Amino acid sequence: MRILTKTSLYYLLVSFVVFLMGGIAYYTIMQGEIYDEVDDQLFTDKENILAFIRRTNELPHVTSGVSETIVVKEVTDKNPVLESLTDTLIYSSYDEEDIPYRRLTFTTYQNGKAYQYTIMKSVMDFDDLFESTVFAMGWTFLMLLVGLGAVNYSINKYTWRNFYDTLDKIKRYSLSQYGPLQLKPSETTEFQELNTVLQNMTDKIHSDYLNLKEFTENVSHEIQTPLAIVNSKLELFMQSGNLTSTEAKLLEDMHNSVSRLARLNKSLIMLTRIENREFKENESIPMHELLAEQTEQLQEIIEMHGLTVEQTIDQAVYVHMNRGLAEVLVSNLLINAIQHNAPNGIITITLNQEKMCLKNTGEALHEPGSNLFGRFVSGSKRSDSLGIGLALVSRICSVYNMRPNYSYENGMHVLCIYFNQLNRKIK
Amino acid sequence: MRILIIEDEQELNNSIVTYLEQEGYSCDAAYDFKDASLKVADLPYTCVLVDLNLPHGNGLDIIRLLKENTPETGIIIISAKNALDDRITGLEIGADDYLTKPFHLSELNARLKSVIRRRNFNGQKSVKAGALEVFPDSAEAQVNGKKLTLTKKEYDLLLYFLSNRNRVLTKDSIAEHLWGDHVEALDSLDFVYTHIKNLRRKIMDAGGEDHIQTVYGLGYKFAAE
Repeated sequence: MRILTKTSLYYLLVSFVVFLMGGIAYYTIMQGEIYDEVDDQLFTDKENILAFIRRTNELPHVTSGVSETIVVKEVTDKNPVLESLTDTLIYSSYDEEDIPYRRLTFTTYQNGKAYQYTIMKSVMDFDDLFESTVFAMGWTFLMLLVGLGAVNYSINKYTWRNFYDTLDKIKRYSLSQYGPLQLKPSETTEFQELNTVLQNMTDKIHSDYLNLKEFTENVSHEIQTPLAIVNSKLELFMQSGNLTSTEAKLLEDMHNSVSRLARLNKSLIMLTRIENREFKENESIPMHELLAEQTEQLQEIIEMHGLTVEQTIDQAVYVHMNRGLAEVLVSNLLINAIQHNAPNGIITITLNQEKMCLKNTGEALHEPGSNLFGRFVSGSKRSDSLGIGLALVSRICSVYNMRPNYSYENGMHVLCIYFNQLNRKIK
Repeated sequence: MRILIIEDEQELNNSIVTYLEQEGYSCDAAYDFKDASLKVADLPYTCVLVDLNLPHGNGLDIIRLLKENTPETGIIIISAKNALDDRITGLEIGADDYLTKPFHLSELNARLKSVIRRRNFNGQKSVKAGALEVFPDSAEAQVNGKKLTLTKKEYDLLLYFLSNRNRVLTKDSIAEHLWGDHVEALDSLDFVYTHIKNLRRKIMDAGGEDHIQTVYGLGYKFAAE
């Protein structure tokens, strides 16, 4: 839920409660006021009537302007009602309903006889009062609702647009693809502060990233030459005939390490070059052919491991990408399936328009499968595996917006590459 | 046969020169672009090894120069770059092969032999070692005139041995020669052993001698005069 929708909802909830309580209070206060007013009038009338009687010694006429309704009757009771104020309903034939009246009854003596006077005044219909209160409050509430909606919309559109712009840019921000973050300046202090913080942060990250990239690039390129020299010197050394077996063993160990370092370096350079997007020439690659070709090339190694390969390639699948990278992708996946397989295991290869999957038998991993695509993560305990093959796979995938996925099902490692729809359509 | 090694890294250049001189070539070394262009113009070489990144110039220009003046010279690019573009440009303008640093000297030697063979400089159609004879044109091997049935890998291995006679070849360099980049997929270098065993058996079954010696701790050596 958006922050504005959320605050609006809370505002509305509070407003609803306030309006309800306000309505009830308004209704009760109004009711009290009306009673007060009518009662005041009734007592004024009473005073006026008594004054009239004292002055004229007769009852005022209904038309005398002193009172609206006066009922007088002689009291026979020994204990007459001195003064009482009650509510009553009188049927009005005009309105065809009972109308509420306020009634003041008092007894006074005239010529030694007690007379009971009753004055009545119509009070307001409280049902009507209730109705109009609800109506008024309802309207106000409705207008508030519309007002809030409008304010919400305009705030959303104008004040928060920079925030959403920033959010969108951060969502799409990727270190390897874009330069530093370019954010729109905002007039809102908080958003401007947020932008500044983000800007500084990404600038720092970006420059660190560039430095690191440059470092890796330089280091791996600069390592090539010394490696070549060491390698060649070692080889020359090996050719000298009179080596003892201890020396030979030492030499072999050195040579093996240098070779390993050379391969590692080669892979690192490859990785850097993919990250730098140096592979620009793309073409439509027949994945089905490439898979068959690469499997054929590795056939000997597969046989030596005693592995069985089952290929299910239903149709021709073309993916738009660089040929070299496609080869690296396929061969790394195959090599991975060979390397981490159980003895006499199985490799199942499936390819369709949507994805390419390689399954191989093997023990479950001890670590989460998502780590698998990182550098120097080796699933098995083998020391000669560099653990960079799947990092290359993952890099290539990210260049072409393909999605690699790992899962473990029924004793099989399953590595799938989901093709990007856009890359696939281009033939 | 004269070989020119154009490589600005002195130590590497020296190693290559030493290795190739032991193979019986006469070698010249050039360490920068000017030196290299002078030497190239001076006298014809059988083969030239060119590094692409040179002080004061680009190795590709030397290849162009060679193609203009002495088109019969074999050219092998040795570069640390391994950029596909360079590889393609290099081969397009007339280089015969491309090696990425760091490489095994034995591999360089094998490629050099192959380039020389292809250009047929020594007028030989075959490579001989005792009763063993290999015909690179048809990718065939014979023992005493009798054809050997070899797999592609066994043939490649045999040729690699013949190109590096009397030299110690490490299992590692053999594996890289045979499987290239796929060498990482090999569990251990025992595969090399299997291939060598099979090759030995096939040669001996055909009545040939076993030239392949195991050099303890290092690898193998094809011993022949």
